[in-house]
Amino acid sequence: MAHSPQTTPSGFLLPSIHSAPPFFTEQPNPNTQAQHTEQWTRIILTYARHKRLFVLRVEDAAVPGGDWDEVLRNERINRRMLPSHLSSILASMVSKNLAVYEPPKQIHAVLLYWRLPEEWADVLHSWATATGQLNTILTYYEITDPPVPSPLSNMPLPLLRRAINVLTRSGRAQIIGVADGEGVRLFAGGK
Amino acid sequence: MHRLGGVGLAAFDRQKESQRSFAELSSELSKAQVDHLQSQLTQFRTALSHFAASHRDSIRSDPAFRHEFQQMCSSIGVDPLAGPRKGGWWAEILGMSDWQYELGVQIVDVCVSTRERNGGVIEMGELVRMVSKLRGVGSGVITEDDVTRSIKTLQPLGAGYEVMDVGGGKKMVRSVMKELDDDQAIVLAEAQAEGGRIVEEILEMRRGWPRERARAALENMLLRDGLCWLDSQDETHGKAYWVPSAMRWDE
Repeated sequence: MAHSPQTTPSGFLLPSIHSAPPFFTEQPNPNTQAQHTEQWTRIILTYARHKRLFVLRVEDAAVPGGDWDEVLRNERINRRMLPSHLSSILASMVSKNLAVYEPPKQIHAVLLYWRLPEEWADVLHSWATATGQLNTILTYYEITDPPVPSPLSNMPLPLLRRAINVLTRSGRAQIIGVADGEGVRLFAGGK
Repeated sequence: MHRLGGVGLAAFDRQKESQRSFAELSSELSKAQVDHLQSQLTQFRTALSHFAASHRDSIRSDPAFRHEFQQMCSSIGVDPLAGPRKGGWWAEILGMSDWQYELGVQIVDVCVSTRERNGGVIEMGELVRMVSKLRGVGSGVITEDDVTRSIKTLQPLGAGYEVMDVGGGKKMVRSVMKELDDDQAIVLAEAQAEGGRIVEEILEMRRGWPRERARAALENMLLRDGLCWLDSQDETHGKAYWVPSAMRWDE
């Protein structure tokens, strides 16, 4: 049996290692495990970007029917990732700043950094510039749920806050309290 | 009474004389033989270089022809890579060594880039496939023979590249300085037959190994050498080992 790349129903191309049964088992050899974790990390991040998924939970490996079935399971070879395995991959991703535990102080769910907060900050700033919304007050809701879909649509608030923090540190944004929560004013400003 | 050679002092001279002429004759004869041999050798060299030069393209591009040529060379005791000059005069005539060294570099490339997933042991067919892909040539252009030959040229580097026969006509190329013991070679061969999967029971049944021996060999490959991977969701045995170098990978 040859192990070959597979395209999922959602159009995502899984590498050939995803069709290898042992890929779904946590490896006792630390070197092997490190290599597999690296591969898993890559698959998870590219899939998240492909489907615009921001959150990955350990329970996604436990309960079928979620957003992550296409990668955490392989029905063709009857294998699935076990929650404990996923949990150690998440830990590795957090340690490499490719994800962050969200909310903090728990280890069951992460916010995925398929774009780093710094990159999201640039995306946000470019979007505001392109849509002529500099110097006006924007609520967080207006950013994550704009009338015209944007690259920031459906972005989770914790991630948006991190991106805005990056902008405030470089003087390109000012956080403003508004009646129904938080708002921000973006400035042209240099980098 | 006449003795052969006569008597008296004059006889010594005569004997010396005849000895000298025999020696002269002998050296003349052997000189003629050497000359003859030399001219034959020159002729042979010329013919061979002529052959090599005129078939250079075929030798470089046609694997069957190259194989035949190399067999011919080895049957007459000429190593196409060896020679008085750097790279061998064959190399100069054929440009063969460039080709071979180039192939060597690509073999190293494939071995190193796949080491992470196969622990430094790659199946010959897979290596040939990947090198062919790297060169952008179709299958059959590069043969196992070429790869084996190139690996020999890598030996002076001391990187430990080696072709191993694991039985059943299967060959593996090892690119790490790690001695494979006999048991591991057997595990590789059995895994090869199973598409990469191997369990203790197979070694027990087919090789008559005691369970402990099978377990020790597999656990060593798993934990110590990183030559196999663990699958704890195996349908029939619950726990199976997979040898990545024995698995077929389509990139």
